[in-house]
Amino acid sequence: MSPRPWWAKLGHGSLILVATVYCLFPIYFMLVQSLKTPAEDVFGNPFIVVNPTLENFQELFQREGEVRGFVGRALRRSYPFLDWLVNTLVVFAGSVTATVVASVAAGYALGRLRPPGFQWWRRAIFATYIVPQTILFIPLYQVVSALGLDDNMLALLLIYPTMALPFCVWMLSGYFQQLPREVEEAALIEGASRAGAFFRIVLPMSRPVLVAAGIFTLGIVASDFMIASVFLLTPHNQTITAGLGTFDVALDELAAVAGVNLLAIPVVTISAVFARGFVRGLTASMVEGA
Amino acid sequence: MAAARSAGRTRDIRLAYLLLAPTLLLLLTTLAYPIGWEIWTSFTDLSPLKDGSAEFVGLTNYGRLLGDPEFWRAALVTVVYAIITSVAKLALGLGFALLLARPFRGRALVFLAIFIPWAYPAGVSVIGWYWTLSPPTTTAYAPAMGHLKHLVDGTFGTGAWAFTSIILFNIWRGSSFIGVLLLAGINAIPPELFECALLESKSRWRRFRLVTVPLLRPFLALAVFLSLTGAFADLANVWMLTAGRIVFPVIGTHAYVLAVKAGQYGPASALALTLVPFLLAILLVLFRLFDPPRREAT
Repeated sequence: MSPRPWWAKLGHGSLILVATVYCLFPIYFMLVQSLKTPAEDVFGNPFIVVNPTLENFQELFQREGEVRGFVGRALRRSYPFLDWLVNTLVVFAGSVTATVVASVAAGYALGRLRPPGFQWWRRAIFATYIVPQTILFIPLYQVVSALGLDDNMLALLLIYPTMALPFCVWMLSGYFQQLPREVEEAALIEGASRAGAFFRIVLPMSRPVLVAAGIFTLGIVASDFMIASVFLLTPHNQTITAGLGTFDVALDELAAVAGVNLLAIPVVTISAVFARGFVRGLTASMVEGA
Repeated sequence: MAAARSAGRTRDIRLAYLLLAPTLLLLLTTLAYPIGWEIWTSFTDLSPLKDGSAEFVGLTNYGRLLGDPEFWRAALVTVVYAIITSVAKLALGLGFALLLARPFRGRALVFLAIFIPWAYPAGVSVIGWYWTLSPPTTTAYAPAMGHLKHLVDGTFGTGAWAFTSIILFNIWRGSSFIGVLLLAGINAIPPELFECALLESKSRWRRFRLVTVPLLRPFLALAVFLSLTGAFADLANVWMLTAGRIVFPVIGTHAYVLAVKAGQYGPASALALTLVPFLLAILLVLFRLFDPPRREAT
């Protein structure tokens, strides 16, 4: 190809710049706010932080019951943030694991074992994606309390996987359907059992697709706000998302933005580490023979 | 030999159902039962505020909806919201994907930048967005945002700013995911095809329309599907970004208020279920586009 003219390069470069700024600016803005002292929040420049401080983050971890001081006559409560953090970790890790395991099993069943009508199973499971859990609060609540999971984070472990499963099963069954059978047959001929062939050969080579399913689930789980706040009511049982929703905007803006960042940093880091695998997995699962 | 094979097949089928069991169990408890309950309730006058058992009222709840201007307003807002956000997300996402398709210096970092809005946990980033767009009055940038809010509300009516902020947030996060999804699609196109196309046609637009779009079709269909279903059922973003002060109700928030706050289970169920035919129609149209185009032997 002939070398591109300078204006094409310039156009391409500025498009890239605009896209990057557009994507990152809101995140940068939230990060800057969380590093501000109250004084700088009121009088400083909104776009930069001159004297960064971690006091907003420290405030989150203050022990419960301690009075953090007053704003006017309003008492500033402290929050069981450490409990929220632990609950969030359990819920996120548990939901992702449960979803990936269940969808690998279902995907293998539909893509490789192919029971009668497997294409219809596959479509039916995917079709359930159109039913949003967020319009089903009342009956979901009945299910949750019938199982004795009222105000318990296990309720989220029950509901979250269902939000990601339809897509993950669709993806994984498509992937297993396209995976050449010879891969397994070679191992079977050499005397490996079906399970042995699956765990030693099929699973390791499917890593990108597993990563794609896991990261997709993490994205879905981390984006929920309504279900966490409706089903978890006692402060000690809440996740970070549900807990931050109870913050008083006017009094605790900075601490809340710090809390937002504290949850976002690990989630974004994990996603970023696996980002390339995510793309490769999406490609592999959607395209014949890839 | 044939008998052994068919015994093996029976075993495979049994194993398949066993492996499907956890998924089906989850879907039954948290999806099939609730949907069944909603359907049944939508034909009754069930309410926790009413003594005695629920009575079957037939289509009354649906009939009342059709005559309720609030419902039509919510439906219109929902459709507008879904269309605006989907078109914008698709356009931006396609732009991102095409931008990233060709190698350039620093591409890995730009890719991460585009990926991050989706990866950033939306359950909390929506809180951050709310406080950025509607800051407490003490904050340094509050006056500027206040001006902007009054300007938008003054031009388009009360609540327009809140609605705009919801749309902006949805587009910001959604375009990131669609960009990544379409990039995965572009990566799947064999480079030889692009080279062939280059010989066939000089027009970049023709190459895009005749080669890239058809090969991306399953990915584009999936992107449209995820975007529309997400927007139609959206409740959390609207709720959070307006702090529960719903000026522009969508079907999701309307149903939530009716069920959880007002305790009118029957009408609320009917309302929530009006979404399903829409979503089903979208699904049926797009289903045929999902499966990758069969590559004929060439």
